[in-house]
Amino acid sequence: MLRLPKFEMAEPDTLDEAVSLLAKHGDRAMPIAGGTDLVPNMKHELFTPELVVSLAGIAELHGIEQAGDGSLILGAMTPLDELARDERVLRGAPALAQAASLVAGPQLRRMGTLGGNVMLDTRCQWYNQTHFWRQSLGYCLKKDGTECHVVAGGRKCVAAASNDSAPALMSLGATLSFQGPDGTREVPIDDLWKSDGIYNKKVSGEILTHARIPAPGPGHRGAYGKLRDRGSIDFPLLGVAVRLDLGSDDVVTDADLVVVALQARPVRVRKVAETFRGLEIQGPAFREALDEVCTLASKQCRPLANIPGDHEYRHAMVPVYTRRTFLAACEQGGPVHHV
Amino acid sequence: MRVLHLCVNGDRLEVAAPPHWTLLEVLRYKLGLTGSKQGCDKGDCGACTVLVDGKPVLACLTLAALSEGREITTIEGLMPAHRQAGGEGADPVQEAFDRCGALQCGFCQPGMMLSARALLNDNPTPSPAEIKHALSGNLCRCTGYTQIVQAVELCVAESTSKKPRSPAWAPGVNPWSRAEPASGGQD
Amino acid sequence: MAARDNHGVGSPWKDGFKVIGRALPKEDGLAKATGQAIYADDIQLPGMLHAKILRSPHAHARIVSIDTSRALALEGVHAVITGESMPIRYGVIPWTPDENALAVDKVRFIGDEVAAVAAVDEDTANEALRLIEVEYEPLHAYLDPREALERSEPQIHEGKKAGNVSKHVGLDFGPVDENLEKAEVRVEGDYVFHGSTHAPIEPHCAVAQHAADGLLTVWSSTQITHYVHRALARVLELPESRIRVIQPCLGGAFGGKSDPFALEFCVAKLAMITGRPVKMLWTREEVFYAHRGRHPMQMHYVTGADRDGRVQAVDAKILIDGGSYSSFGLVTTYYSGQLLTGPYDFPAYRFDSTRVFTNKPPCGPKRGHGSVQPRFAFEVQFDQLAEKVGVDPIEIRRRNFQGDYTETVNGQRITSNGFLACLDQVEEASDWKKRRGKLPRGRGLGVAGSMYISGTNYAVYPNKMPQAGVQLKVDRSGMVMVFTGGNDIGQGSNSVVRYIVAEELGLRPEDVRVKAADTDLCPVDLGAYSSRVTFMVGNATIDACRKLRKKITQAVAQEWEIPQARVFMGLGEVFDLEDREKLISTREAFHLAEEHHDTLGSTGSYNTPTLGGDYRGGTIGASPAYSFTAHVVEATVDEETGRITVENCWIAHDCGRALNPMLVAGQMEGSAYMGLAEALLEDHRVNRFGLHAGPSLLDYRLPTAVDTPELHALIVESLDPEGPYGAKEAGEGPLHPSIPAISNAVFDAVGIRLTELPFTPGKVLKALEEQKAEKQASPGNPSEQPIGEKA
Ligand SMILES: Cc1cc2nc3c(=O)[nH]c(=O)nc-3n(C[C@H](O)[C@H](O)[C@H](O)COP(=O)(O)OP(=O)(O)OC[C@H]3O[C@@H](n4cnc5c(N)ncnc54)[C@H](O)[C@@H]3O)c2cc1C
Ligand code: SF4
Ligand code: FES
Ligand code: FES
Repeated sequence: MLRLPKFEMAEPDTLDEAVSLLAKHGDRAMPIAGGTDLVPNMKHELFTPELVVSLAGIAELHGIEQAGDGSLILGAMTPLDELARDERVLRGAPALAQAASLVAGPQLRRMGTLGGNVMLDTRCQWYNQTHFWRQSLGYCLKKDGTECHVVAGGRKCVAAASNDSAPALMSLGATLSFQGPDGTREVPIDDLWKSDGIYNKKVSGEILTHARIPAPGPGHRGAYGKLRDRGSIDFPLLGVAVRLDLGSDDVVTDADLVVVALQARPVRVRKVAETFRGLEIQGPAFREALDEVCTLASKQCRPLANIPGDHEYRHAMVPVYTRRTFLAACEQGGPVHHV
Repeated sequence: MRVLHLCVNGDRLEVAAPPHWTLLEVLRYKLGLTGSKQGCDKGDCGACTVLVDGKPVLACLTLAALSEGREITTIEGLMPAHRQAGGEGADPVQEAFDRCGALQCGFCQPGMMLSARALLNDNPTPSPAEIKHALSGNLCRCTGYTQIVQAVELCVAESTSKKPRSPAWAPGVNPWSRAEPASGGQD
Repeated sequence: MAARDNHGVGSPWKDGFKVIGRALPKEDGLAKATGQAIYADDIQLPGMLHAKILRSPHAHARIVSIDTSRALALEGVHAVITGESMPIRYGVIPWTPDENALAVDKVRFIGDEVAAVAAVDEDTANEALRLIEVEYEPLHAYLDPREALERSEPQIHEGKKAGNVSKHVGLDFGPVDENLEKAEVRVEGDYVFHGSTHAPIEPHCAVAQHAADGLLTVWSSTQITHYVHRALARVLELPESRIRVIQPCLGGAFGGKSDPFALEFCVAKLAMITGRPVKMLWTREEVFYAHRGRHPMQMHYVTGADRDGRVQAVDAKILIDGGSYSSFGLVTTYYSGQLLTGPYDFPAYRFDSTRVFTNKPPCGPKRGHGSVQPRFAFEVQFDQLAEKVGVDPIEIRRRNFQGDYTETVNGQRITSNGFLACLDQVEEASDWKKRRGKLPRGRGLGVAGSMYISGTNYAVYPNKMPQAGVQLKVDRSGMVMVFTGGNDIGQGSNSVVRYIVAEELGLRPEDVRVKAADTDLCPVDLGAYSSRVTFMVGNATIDACRKLRKKITQAVAQEWEIPQARVFMGLGEVFDLEDREKLISTREAFHLAEEHHDTLGSTGSYNTPTLGGDYRGGTIGASPAYSFTAHVVEATVDEETGRITVENCWIAHDCGRALNPMLVAGQMEGSAYMGLAEALLEDHRVNRFGLHAGPSLLDYRLPTAVDTPELHALIVESLDPEGPYGAKEAGEGPLHPSIPAISNAVFDAVGIRLTELPFTPGKVLKALEEQKAEKQASPGNPSEQPIGEKA
């Protein structure tokens, strides 16, 4: 078997207990939710925590709620398949439900949680390998080594953010709540990321308790597009989340496009809202604007040779998936996926 | 080492395991329930699929310690449960896999059949597309999935007293009928 | 009856087949369905130790020194072994013994085995591996076969005559140059086949126990029990009589478990040293290093034909990337040329194949060994020829059909040949005539054909003994126990044995049990490779049954005082054909026979007739019977994403006779699936560091249920005089055409020719761009317009 390194296990019942355990053990402790990312990574000796703190027993991390103002409060321990099927999420945050429905395969969606997905480690073909493999390579900058094999001479790790939920949550303007030794804080998901593949989040040592998605307007349109080789199991080679807010007469009042699996952080494509605003989605001007948005996306999204697969091909697919996903959103369809 | 309390195939058991043992390792090597298979040990193949509280999950990524108090069903549990419920033979899913030739090497199949069992518990009349979707986390290297999907379709057909779709190699007939297995060859 | 006798294609009893030809469940189906079947890693013995292997982190290096003392000193470690512990070389082909259980002096790829540890548990064994100190002197690593061909220093295998060439075969039949010269149409092209691997879902595992009296028992997930037996004896320097090899239930193989592997030698040696049972289970990553998968080939083909598309000559030059060891490479090199000479008639044929060593995981036999790659090249080239002469691709294949009961240009005897029926079936089922060339752009149909062997008369070590043996033990309960050396690897060969015995002895299938692949109990069969088991073990089983049947009917006839010919056996009953009142159970008949004769039993065997061309290597690829296949694939091409989706695959396969149509269909579907998988998704690739690019089932992408098209198995029965009741193989042939058929369907869909595998969306987009550029360069030039082009 591919054995796990040894560790101790803690199963706190309360958030406070979990927070203080993590604080006490610092770098030597890690939280575990569904374990679908952490366990393989530990088997690869990418992480060797001495203490693993299970979040499963903490009641307040579970469940989906709709607040009085219509916003959705999604507990960090919500399994992805629940997100994908929940009526409220399907209605209020279709891009997120679609993204969740395309994560990995059926068993993994039942085990994997929203929190774990947001906090997912970045991925790279030179990194997500066994210890033997990485040792034969001579390791890399992200773990145990000094060199990057993606960008020759690179000083910075560019491993890819590969979590399908991240761009969807960003397109929906989600706010994340974290609990740490200094209490609770709210972090707009846009502010979570940094461009560092070694650890691409600005928050560490704190527990993500839930994500809040503001109530959608009546004309909310959202969809998710995912490029991958197989119709199941695979991580994204490219993930595209889109949002269109439509006013009366189907005129765009706001829009957003966020792409993942390119580089260390999810990328928001700039000038999308400006390009679409004021255009009626059935009209020819919208089509032209869509062409322009695809060009913007292609210019701003540069997949690197971090994850397996042909990065030039991934780049060529940016405008294609951008276009298809926006069109799906217009029709209240999606997800965009080849099967 | 900690003592876990698991309910495996209806039996309440106590088993001692260090925290870094997975549920798959505990089932196979501590409890001797070797029906759950290992094909990758890191979440990529589905061979280790077991039902935890009725839902298919991957035992190779489940820390045994986190299964405390859970109801676990392994492939060894299907036939006894079926018998307990008054049935004969094995679980209809197991019988159908056998009758449809879906069990080639059989290594992927404990996981596959548990995914199928859970699907049918959830939705007794899935479409072929829904069947494929539900089984898409279980890799099979032998069958090309055709006879597997046929087996699940056969379960659906028999539970609804409908005639199953015929396979290409026996057009128009039901070669899996218990009454009279069809002759596909010439004498 | 002699082993080489044919048994005829008819049923053993006059009233037709009762068991054969029916879609019966498998002998071990319910055991597998309920989790009761025991696979190698399910074996746990008291006091069992766990072993792990230390592997080379270098692609090519000399071992300067190994220090195992710190590992040995670790608490819980019971033994550490290195190459020195087992210095004798072996190889599955006795002419090329170039492997060591653990590396001696040199390592030849990243993952090559260097040392092994047995410890109380896996964690301790892993810890011990880290304490072993190995000093290496890295050598130049060959990752490109072309470089290995051109450069001979350093040598990967020192002492080889020809640099880094593993094997060269050049054979010439008929006036190739002359015919090519005269040919009215010529097609010439390069084709590239990438590497792929078997990826059985069960990882390799072996367990050994060494008894106090010196008997060594090894349970291994192998498909060649007999060769493992021989190799263990050689390397461990034990008499074969002191070794017992058992294949437990096997979780898939496809050729990936048909070499002796380091793990079998290591568990055996460690068990002998420690006196305790030892298990070694490889991780998925290690299975990728064990490999023995499809050889990458760079192929150049020239085909010449007359203006009607009748082939006049084929000329092939092939460079084969063998990886680091020989494995079956000698055979691969022959197969790359020898197996192309059907189902079409070639008046002249030449091939020149060179297998080179590189510092990568060793290649070997994967389903369709050696012939899937040239088949891809040729069937695509054949389509190009059809295009050039303006003939329908199915029609050109019919036109070139070689016929049945004939001989190929390279001297292979062809018996039954149902290829035309295969073409008819796929043509009709796919609605080819109405749809091919007429579907909207983006959707197309493609056809391809192939031929494969049902075993070969080349036994890997020279001997004149039978290739397959079977023994029957008759029980007073009315049950017959069959002992066969045949390896059931999931294809159902044990079930086939059951059906045959039930048919021959008039038993209900449930009353036949099969014990297979245990060298102590079972007579030798050479193993599950070259699609030989059903054919050869089947024939041996009939042989054994007919001998036994004689004894039983004789005893009954004597008892009833009737002629022996009137005694009839069927489905558990024995009766007088002319007086049905005279009826006893088979069980009672067994008792009678035992009274009349002696304890009842019987043996049977099979050996191939003398076959093959009269030239060096002429027996390699010579088979007593060949199977034939045709596929039509329906594919769509998304021109924006370059993604090819195979929607349907119609598989028509001439298996001689379907002993169980359901099992035959399962083999056909599984084969087609595996071909489609390697065409579209799988890539066994080594990166610039010599590391396997993604040794996991996440990065090496096996299609899931939603990625697999509708597979339509259409069985064709040509009733071959050589096979058991006329049966031929079904487990490997139906893989071949799926790959070229996709390429040909893509041509029909969008007019591009894919000649390099795998067919990734990126390659498709590139080809579409080139097509566009060409069109813009010469708009409206009809001669540039491919035939399959649509509006
Ligand atoms: C074969 C395979 C395929 C996959 N495919 C995809 C895919 O297509 N798309 C995709 O997005 N993912 C994929 N995944 C990854 C993973 O399954 C999912 O991302 C899943 O959502 C992770 O959730 P989890 O609860 O299992 O996380 P865990 O593994 O439990 O945790 C992941 C990380 O987040 C941290 N963490 C977890 N919860 C919290 C919290 N509440 N607060 C703070 N930190 C926390 C953990 O410490 C850990 O570092 C795949 C995994 C596998 C094995
Ligand atoms: S991008 Fe990849 S290779 Fe480069 S440092 Fe990060 S993980 Fe390592
Ligand atoms: S063994 Fe668990 S998914 Fe492969
Ligand atoms: S039956 Fe062999 S892997 Fe599925």
